[in-house]
Amino acid sequence: MFNDFLKKMMGTGSSKTDSKDVAKKRLKFALIYDKLEVSDDTLRCLHRDIIDVISRYFEIDQEAFKMDIRRSDDLSALIVNTPILSAKRHVSSQGQR
Amino acid sequence: MRCILDGRIIVITSGKGGVGKTTATASIGAALALEGRRVAVVDMDIGLRNLDVVMGLENRIVFNVVDAVKGKCKLKQAAIKDRRIENLYLIPASQSDNKNVLAPEEMERFGEILRKEFDYILMDCPAGIERGFENSVASADEAVVICAPEVSSVRDADRVIGLLYAKSITPKLVINRIIPEMVERGDMLNHIDVVDVLSIELIGLVPMDDQVIVATNTGTPLVLQRKSKAGEAFRRIALRLNGMTDLPIEVPQAEGHFWRKVGAKLGLGK
Repeated sequence: MFNDFLKKMMGTGSSKTDSKDVAKKRLKFALIYDKLEVSDDTLRCLHRDIIDVISRYFEIDQEAFKMDIRRSDDLSALIVNTPILSAKRHVSSQGQR
Repeated sequence: MRCILDGRIIVITSGKGGVGKTTATASIGAALALEGRRVAVVDMDIGLRNLDVVMGLENRIVFNVVDAVKGKCKLKQAAIKDRRIENLYLIPASQSDNKNVLAPEEMERFGEILRKEFDYILMDCPAGIERGFENSVASADEAVVICAPEVSSVRDADRVIGLLYAKSITPKLVINRIIPEMVERGDMLNHIDVVDVLSIELIGLVPMDDQVIVATNTGTPLVLQRKSKAGEAFRRIALRLNGMTDLPIEVPQAEGHFWRKVGAKLGLGK
């Protein structure tokens, strides 16, 4: 509008970031974080299922199995770390879908 | 299966409190009734009722929604008829119980009774996502999410939208309490920002309006006040809900600025 036009002509307003843009950015991050919040129950189920699946193909050390969700500003990762004791020789194709 | 002639149950919700659910319920309900539909507005905020005072019907409460659901009275006894607007009925909340006196299964059954009597049933949902929310949503076919253009309200709206999707309800969005001057200055999220973050269908933009408090002071319906910009915005939302889907959504504008008017005429406006 005319006011914006004037502001631009006089060079004011360009240095200042609009507070609503800050709001929008913070909101987007907050919503991503909110959705990544996983309940302990879900984590326990995921833990069990991953062990089940890997165990079909490998002998693993279940005690040393580690699972973690790591978050940083722009991405989150599910990190699974498990020692493999040995590969299973005869993987049945029934296990696969 | 539901009969096509049965009424539609629409829940008005927001997650956060104080964003205008009750005002929206009263106004949209009144506007739908003015269109000639039979409308019931149900105050689901058990223990903290307010829809009755907003509508100016607080002196006429005898029975309430808990009585009606529990079968302690007939639906007709709990539904208070508005004397100014034909076909508008209020089913008030009970003030002495808490939200746990009702269960979602009971509300589903009650919803079936309401559908037979009314074209539209608007459920005024309490703030929060606990039992009161569950009860309000239990029988709903549709949902309108009310959101103010501020961080906390948008975040809570997003949470509620997720919960509604989980119940197979696709909600529609109303952005309320827009202050056009602040939007213009870049100090308030505009409707494009909010829709971008929430990504659901928009059905109305409502400006901040002093008339809302004036109307609540006297208990008169906002949509009957000619000067009220918010009332007009709610009326247009009601028309859209009632099938006039091509009615354009007006963006609230700051008023009375000479250069802005000139700018708009010259096509410089956004």
